[in-house]
Amino acid sequence: MDRELEEANCKFAWLKLACAEDELDSCATLLSELKVLLTKFPSMPPSFERTPNAVAELRLARAIYEFAVIFSIRVKDQDAFERNFFQLKVFYMDTRGILPPSPEEYRILGLNLMRLLAENRVAEFHTELELLPPRALDHPCIKYAVELEQSFMEGTYNRLTNGRQAVPHETYLYFMDLLAETIRDEIADCSGQAYDHLPVDDARKMLMFSSEQKLLEYISEIQHEWEVQNHSVLFHMAKVQPRVGIQAHQMIKRSLCYARELERVV
Amino acid sequence: RTGRPTPYPTRPTHRGRPPFIFARNATPAYLGSRAHRPQANSRHAPHPTEPQTVAHAHPDLFADAAMAAAAATVSSAGGILAMLHEPAEELKLHALASLNSVVHLFYPEISTSIPAIESMYEDDEFDQRQLAALVVSKVFYYLGELNDALSYALGAGPLFDVSEDSDYAQALLAKALDEYASFKTRASKAMEELENVDPRLETIVERMLERCILDGKYQQAMGMAVECRRLDKLEEAIVQCANIHGVLSYCISLSHQYVSHREYRSEILRCLVKIYQTLPHPDYLSICQCLMVLGEPETVADILDTLLSGSQDDALIAYQIAFDLVENENQAFLLNVGNRLDSQTPGQSALPVDQTVNAGTTSTEPAGDVQMGDDTTTANGNAHPVDPKEAAHADRLAKLKGILSGEKSIQLTLQFLYSHNRSDLLILKTIKQAVETSGNVCHSATICSNAIMHAGTTVDTFLRENLEWLSKATNWAKFSATAGLGVIHRGHLQQGRALMAPYLPQNGAVGGGSPYSEGGALYALGLIHANHGEGIKQFLRESLRNTSAEVIQHGACLGLGLASLGTADEEVFEDIKNVLYTDSAVAGEAAGIGMGLLMVGTASEKAGEMLAYAHDTQHEKIIRGLALGIALTMYGREEEADTLIEQMTRDQDPILRYGGMYALALAYRGTANNKAIHQLLHFAVSDVSDDVRRTAVMGLGFVLYNEPEQTPRIVSLLSESYNPHVRYGAALAVGISCAGTGLSDAISLLEPLTSDVVDFVRQGALIAMAIVMIQTNESFDSRVGTFRRQLQKIILDKHEDTMSKMGAILASGILDAGGRNVTIKLRSRNKHDKLTAVIGLAVFTQFWHWYPLLYFISLAFSPTAIIGLNSNLEVPKFEFMSHAKPSLFEYPKPTTQQATTSAVELPTAILSTYAKAKSRAKKDAESKAAANQEKTAAEAESKAANQEKSTEDASGSTSGKAADAMQVDSSAEKKAAEPEPAFQILTNPARVVPLQEKFIKFIEGSRYVPVRPAPCGGFILLRDTQPSEAEELVVLTDAPATGQPVPGASAMAVDDEPQPPQPFEYLS
Repeated sequence: MDRELEEANCKFAWLKLACAEDELDSCATLLSELKVLLTKFPSMPPSFERTPNAVAELRLARAIYEFAVIFSIRVKDQDAFERNFFQLKVFYMDTRGILPPSPEEYRILGLNLMRLLAENRVAEFHTELELLPPRALDHPCIKYAVELEQSFMEGTYNRLTNGRQAVPHETYLYFMDLLAETIRDEIADCSGQAYDHLPVDDARKMLMFSSEQKLLEYISEIQHEWEVQNHSVLFHMAKVQPRVGIQAHQMIKRSLCYARELERVV
Repeated sequence: RTGRPTPYPTRPTHRGRPPFIFARNATPAYLGSRAHRPQANSRHAPHPTEPQTVAHAHPDLFADAAMAAAAATVSSAGGILAMLHEPAEELKLHALASLNSVVHLFYPEISTSIPAIESMYEDDEFDQRQLAALVVSKVFYYLGELNDALSYALGAGPLFDVSEDSDYAQALLAKALDEYASFKTRASKAMEELENVDPRLETIVERMLERCILDGKYQQAMGMAVECRRLDKLEEAIVQCANIHGVLSYCISLSHQYVSHREYRSEILRCLVKIYQTLPHPDYLSICQCLMVLGEPETVADILDTLLSGSQDDALIAYQIAFDLVENENQAFLLNVGNRLDSQTPGQSALPVDQTVNAGTTSTEPAGDVQMGDDTTTANGNAHPVDPKEAAHADRLAKLKGILSGEKSIQLTLQFLYSHNRSDLLILKTIKQAVETSGNVCHSATICSNAIMHAGTTVDTFLRENLEWLSKATNWAKFSATAGLGVIHRGHLQQGRALMAPYLPQNGAVGGGSPYSEGGALYALGLIHANHGEGIKQFLRESLRNTSAEVIQHGACLGLGLASLGTADEEVFEDIKNVLYTDSAVAGEAAGIGMGLLMVGTASEKAGEMLAYAHDTQHEKIIRGLALGIALTMYGREEEADTLIEQMTRDQDPILRYGGMYALALAYRGTANNKAIHQLLHFAVSDVSDDVRRTAVMGLGFVLYNEPEQTPRIVSLLSESYNPHVRYGAALAVGISCAGTGLSDAISLLEPLTSDVVDFVRQGALIAMAIVMIQTNESFDSRVGTFRRQLQKIILDKHEDTMSKMGAILASGILDAGGRNVTIKLRSRNKHDKLTAVIGLAVFTQFWHWYPLLYFISLAFSPTAIIGLNSNLEVPKFEFMSHAKPSLFEYPKPTTQQATTSAVELPTAILSTYAKAKSRAKKDAESKAAANQEKTAAEAESKAANQEKSTEDASGSTSGKAADAMQVDSSAEKKAAEPEPAFQILTNPARVVPLQEKFIKFIEGSRYVPVRPAPCGGFILLRDTQPSEAEELVVLTDAPATGQPVPGASAMAVDDEPQPPQPFEYLS
């Protein structure tokens, strides 16, 4: 067992080295190997066997997954981020009695909050938030995410775009970019409902595009229901048609059923 | 918002899944789905795999979450689920394995990832597909989706562990069994579109069956095999079991109780018979019962013949078989067996019989010994030279035929009922006085009540004493009164015709009597010969042909139907049909019923003919008669009757729908079939005709009589219906299904109905109550006494209306029916249906429309006696024990004249001192006489029991009497306080009520040993362990008109032989 721990430690050192040297491919391979190696440790969740090496193993595993989370941001892989984060979270949540808290914990939890915000999964954002102890809210990373969420909810979108300058950590920039796109989609959705048509230039400003060209690309790629005519954007196709009509069939059926049941009252 | 601390304990996240998962799983869904079919659930009794509870996972879940902070336990499956999406194969595998171990805790979380896991299962490349299937299956199970869970469990193949002792495995196995069983049932129904059953499902079921057999859980294995229609496995289980006789009888009861499909039941029984026959010591009693159900008289005849040629013991068993078969009252079958025995001439059967006998005497004797206990010193068939042997065989054959024809049992029953008659004439007298002014209905009812009270006892004292009063009956009342004689003399086969002769139509002579008494007499003949009418059939047919008076035709049709019950005799059918086609309302009604009686349970196409005529005719009476007749032909046919039932219940004519209800009730009699119950309940609440609704509710009683405990529960709501007809039906349903049980629930349900606001509901409730309470006494249930007083009150009350008065009069009759020695039983001791009894009750319920049909209730009476017989079919002196307090089952106390009871009390004291003085002078006889007078009714009763049936054991009897006298001397109260003995010794033949039967024990080491250990009741053949010694016989007094009783030979001849009834003249 010691040998495997040794091996894992060793590989993790390589991994860090490879990362520092920007060898992303070998990083990914090493990481995958490391994860497989980790499954062989008996103290891993969900069993949490109390072996003599348990603390060391868990600590190593946590470090590896923390690395994996950061690494997935680096390669801009959202899915991998999510996967790694969930595997890491087990360590944060369930090993508190065994391991001392990790210094990286709140930064990574904050990153996760950012991700949820960027993906517009506000409900889950709040669920995650509820799971945090109150003191965690003072941590700058968490605080940052919470403030962003507030601005997002209030609709003060320019505060969000300005927030980019105040990131607590460089890794947050990746999600700030994603967030910007999310905001754009939000605005686009709202404009679709709010206006019948809009001059192209106004639309460009509103959607925070630097050029008209980018706006047109955006429309053709994402907003298929918009039309561009005479230098204005038409939204009539995007309007939701209210549904009308009572479900007569069902009503009749139900009434008949009541009538029958009444007859049968003994 | 941001600064708010979280007041909640940490909880596992369930991404994208609303929290209702918890609510949904708090009561696992499949428990709910089971609740929808309570019947089915109870039917699953033999299953080992009923899930107990699964509501266990949830507490753990929260507990774990709360502990997460302290110890290292997993609080969420999120990590593992995330790992599932890792690209590396090893990680996926690891994740799956981990999931499998925590699925019981985190199924709500995992449920969101089910599609991912499913796709793993569907990925052919993936090498742990089965593990994935197992995980998915478990999640579905916890979500309550048993169908999905099962289909994935099947996908899991060997990973799904049959022997696992978890709730998951248990529930899924149960589900698998259900699936498999229902598939098999479907497959057997629709032979042509036989799709193949999922082989994986089959494997699982087979694995489970094998495991049960290996573990020695034979009953479970048998239950499953029966349910899954795997007769091969059933056979395997039975053959491997050590206690093969035990499991076989278990299997028989299983097939009767739980197998609702008639043909399949036959299949099982056939399989069982096959196994029985391969055994070294076959249990012929059970085999013949099975064969009777299967309707295979040839085999029964063969077995009987073989047994007859065997040893004395074998012959005894043959007799016992015959008596048991007779008890099931299947006339057509018995006749068939009899005929076949005839056709097997001794010469033909000699050769094979000899062989089997030589083998049989050695092989069957030990079997007998095992049953009976000690030694065997019986005469061996081998010892006889050929000639006496044949003579003996012929003799035995004659005896056997006597039993099979029912004559022997009827004769013995008649003698028993006559000699043990304890009917209370005072009750009748009271009734008679009370109804003197109440008009015809009550008058008729009183006559009927008398007939019922004395049914089968041949005691017509009451009638003879009140000839003038009797003659007030006119027209149809006269018809009924004459028919009543038939009930009183029921079973008096030899003398029946002579008894009725004065009333019968005289050939040629026209002016004999009124057509009403003639018709009634023919009906009476039918009642006397009910189900044993070979002798009288011809006469009845002639009478039918020779008359054109519709009243006589009416009586003759009913009589013929009764006498040739269920024989499906073509000629008789033609005769009755001719009457029907005269289209006379009165005769046609009886013809319809008569045809039904004749064709009972044959499901012949004649029913179609009858239905067609019912559509043609204008007379409602005829339609009603035919409707009932059609229903009777469907007796016991279950699914076969469905088409006809459908046809009748959809008819425009309410009378035919009414018949449809009867058809439904009779076709599914005593099966507790869910479908039939649903249908009846549906009609009970939805039909527009009150008649149909009433009958539908009543029909429930017939369908449920094999599970009497269920009925009060099922009809309890209906008994509170706003519709009096439905209430009436509910009362009768309870009466019918709980007949003679004295069931507490039934009494509680009926009690409020006896004081209903509607008169006919009261009537029905009173009658039903009497049927339920028949042969129970006050010390068994105190409400019996209350009920008797209530009846008396209703009868005496001048302001009570006629309907309920009539009910009360009839109820008094039923309570004391047959001289207090009969009960109403719809099932024989072997748990088979008693055809005559069921039919009798069904037609009886028709009295709503036609009072003379009241007398059909006499068909449902069966004597409550244990009659032990020796190899000569004589009644030897023989004692056995009843391990229950004598008071629990004794006769009800005779009523006393109200005026005298209070007056008598004062002289008691004087008598007592007088008695004391006398006893000091040691004049025992006088003291006893005094004591007898002085005692209360109860003591007189027990005293009488002492004298007649020897309540105490032989040594104690004289001293007991002495003690009696002494105690009376000292203090009457002390006597009352004396503790009752916990047992009682009964002498052959004895009255043993059905509830008492389980307390009966035969005394160890007594001279006679029964050939059949259980059930105890009815006719029991006794093996004589000391055949060399002279036997002391009880000579039963025969019924009147057959000669004087042998004086002094029997202690049972209590009073003088009554004279045959005087022919009485009606003043019309």
